Amino acid sequence: MFLQTVVTGLSIGGIYALMAVGYSLVFSVLSFSNFAHGAVIMLGAYIGLGLVTKLHFGLGLVVSGAMAGAGLIAIVNEKLAYSLLRKRKAPSLYIMISAMGCAVFLENMVYATIGSRFYAFPAFFKQSVLCLFNGTCNIALLDLFAFGISILAILGLHLFLIHTRTGIAIRAGVSDMTMCSLMGVNLDRLISIVFFLAGIFGGAAGVFLGIKYLVYPTMGWVTNKAYIAAVIGGLGSLPGALLGGLILGVLETFVSTYVSSVMRDVFSFGLLIALLVWRPNGLFGRDTGEKV
Amino acid sequence: MTGPLLEVKDLTKTFGGIRAVDGLSFAVAPGAITGIIGPNGAGKTTVFNLVTGVYRPDAGSIDFEGRSLLGIRPDQIVGAGIARTFQNIRLFNRRTCLENVLTPLLQKAPYSVPAALLRTPGVRRMDRELREKSRFLLAEMGLEKLADVQASALPYGLQRKLEIARALAMEPRLLLLDEPAAGMNPEESRALSALIEEIRERFNQTILLIEHHMDVVMRVCSHIVVMNFGALLAEGPPEKVRTDEKVLQAYLGKEYRNA
Amino acid sequence: MNYVLSIVTLAGINMIAVLGLSIFTGFTGLFSFGHAALVGIGAYASAILTYYYFVPFPIALVAGMAASALVSLVIGIPTLRARLRSDYFAIAILGFGEALRVILENLEITNGARGLPGIEPFTTLPIVAGCLAVSVWVASNFLRSRYGAACIAVREDPVAAEMAGINLFRTRLLSLVVSAAFCGLSGGLLAHFLSFIQPVMFTLVQSTALLAAVIAGGMGSITGPLIASFIFIAMPEALRVAQMWRLVAYGLVLVLIMLFRPQGLMGYQELTTFFRRSRNDRPAA
Repeated sequence: MFLQTVVTGLSIGGIYALMAVGYSLVFSVLSFSNFAHGAVIMLGAYIGLGLVTKLHFGLGLVVSGAMAGAGLIAIVNEKLAYSLLRKRKAPSLYIMISAMGCAVFLENMVYATIGSRFYAFPAFFKQSVLCLFNGTCNIALLDLFAFGISILAILGLHLFLIHTRTGIAIRAGVSDMTMCSLMGVNLDRLISIVFFLAGIFGGAAGVFLGIKYLVYPTMGWVTNKAYIAAVIGGLGSLPGALLGGLILGVLETFVSTYVSSVMRDVFSFGLLIALLVWRPNGLFGRDTGEKV
Repeated sequence: MTGPLLEVKDLTKTFGGIRAVDGLSFAVAPGAITGIIGPNGAGKTTVFNLVTGVYRPDAGSIDFEGRSLLGIRPDQIVGAGIARTFQNIRLFNRRTCLENVLTPLLQKAPYSVPAALLRTPGVRRMDRELREKSRFLLAEMGLEKLADVQASALPYGLQRKLEIARALAMEPRLLLLDEPAAGMNPEESRALSALIEEIRERFNQTILLIEHHMDVVMRVCSHIVVMNFGALLAEGPPEKVRTDEKVLQAYLGKEYRNA
Repeated sequence: MNYVLSIVTLAGINMIAVLGLSIFTGFTGLFSFGHAALVGIGAYASAILTYYYFVPFPIALVAGMAASALVSLVIGIPTLRARLRSDYFAIAILGFGEALRVILENLEITNGARGLPGIEPFTTLPIVAGCLAVSVWVASNFLRSRYGAACIAVREDPVAAEMAGINLFRTRLLSLVVSAAFCGLSGGLLAHFLSFIQPVMFTLVQSTALLAAVIAGGMGSITGPLIASFIFIAMPEALRVAQMWRLVAYGLVLVLIMLFRPQGLMGYQELTTFFRRSRNDRPAA
């Protein structure tokens, strides 16, 4: 029971981490909470669904397609809804409100056009559950796959940020945007890349979420959890996002197993508030005090 | 009262390893105008921020009228009788001049929230009286004609005056002015010196001011504190500070001596 | 005719909540993605009182206001005392609102997610009109008083406000509590107008709609948000637009306003000042 809870928690946590990375990446460069990320994830899930139901793609192609699509959507989202504010040096709160507007807009756009129906992905694996330890602990193959992909993707991103020119430019942008543009880095391109990266992670997360649960317009609100995970780890920190996702996944599963499943969400939101109040920079976050 | 109005002892504040204020001690005598001078980055404004509770000191003590100011909130320090202006003007920009002065005055109006919600006759009367008082204060600063103009629409020099008017509305026993003559031409700063002296006489106001304009400092201050790298370099009356060897070297520069 | 009356009533109810949020966001400068939950608290508290305990309607309304005000203290005290960054505060209250909704969905007395049907429809248009008029009067009294002056000073410059002898924490908390009371009143009226309430009526989406009205109407204005709120409710009803298209529009409005007119329709102005200005000469500004 205990082991099962940990395994289930980690598998959810892996997806949380994948989504939390998107929040953290954007926050690390632009210092605002991109609430439209949930909608991007939701659109990624729909793209994946379209690819599998209309074009009968396999899992690998579905995930890649959703990643590319969501990445592009994230870039367009930034260009249309944030770039003007960013150039005007508007308070980060304004960008956040604009992001919230995008989330409401996109979600209800899907509602109005595709409809509120719940869609399910077809089964990708013949045998869906793997038994461990003589059946004391079951793990869904999909969860294992998603967890593996999440860890690999975050590791890949980490290596990208450390070893490539673009990655180094992004990290420079994190520490000082103005300086970075003075040094001849093309900020617009850099920020597009950041949003693209956040988007592709969101696309993958969307497909995994869609397979695990279902695909529907408001599925993006699950990302509130991912946001909480990002806050736990410290907004703007990649290892923080990973660890925050896993911690939240496990804690949450424990609460729903041992306390009550309805208290799970109350617990997560309570954790969010408590963390914001007592440790706003999370476990790994930088100090991001608002300038007076 | 015979002791100093404000007494700062061994005040220290560090920011990430840099000692912005380093073991500073000085006192402000009641009824006098005291000046703090020093090169840029000497920690002058930090002293104001420590006295008014924006920052907490790492070490040292700040006593006002014999009572410690350590560990109390900025708004309580205002209540204790210290008001200030800011180096980079901080007005309530979208409010009128009158409202800028009225806001601190209103904070002492002793009516309750329910009375405010119902706007009882008592509330009306008090608000009316305080409005009159604000007009009077604006008139003292020569701003009475601009009472209904938005603060942000005022020219720079008048914004500084409005900030002083707002500080006076708090009825302080000690007024801190942070570079009141910044950005003024010689003529304007002469007028400002006269105004500061007038404030001291009219309101019997003790003033502590930070200033770069030497003509203002030398003219209005009876006592000068010179800071360098967060520490006290020299202090005394203008004549003494003006000729102090260390001050000339560190602050006014060698060229000054040769000139 | 009956249909038109019901739309106007609904708009009036919504305007009271927008008025409340306007005090908090427009005049005190703090953004909230959780005020719909405070409307929900008022709705449930008053409905439970009339439904289970047969408490007279006016008393139930007041109790709803008090309940919302009290609940707002629960989130306000820790977060406002901690002086969170403004965006973190908006998120903390978002989390609070969502948590409240989950709790409402799982209590027995609220009948859970299925909602509470059969609430006596006490709310009529004259009652709403009266409540709205009194609310506007009380809100403008508040804003003219020392407390309102403190709120506006905090919005304009928290550091300068503190140096004007204003207690930031107490001022922000008072503003939250007053705004919550208005939201509670709006909720009480709503419950007894629709005679059916459900937790999903008080989610983040509704909070966003309230915020959209305040921002579109204009920060620091009472009349602006009221007009915007009326338009937001009445226009789609008149055009018979489905709920989701309405929300599409809210989202779009938020983005467009932030991009092109962050001060909103009548930022920092009232309808009355326009009239006054056209009569007198414009002040020298």
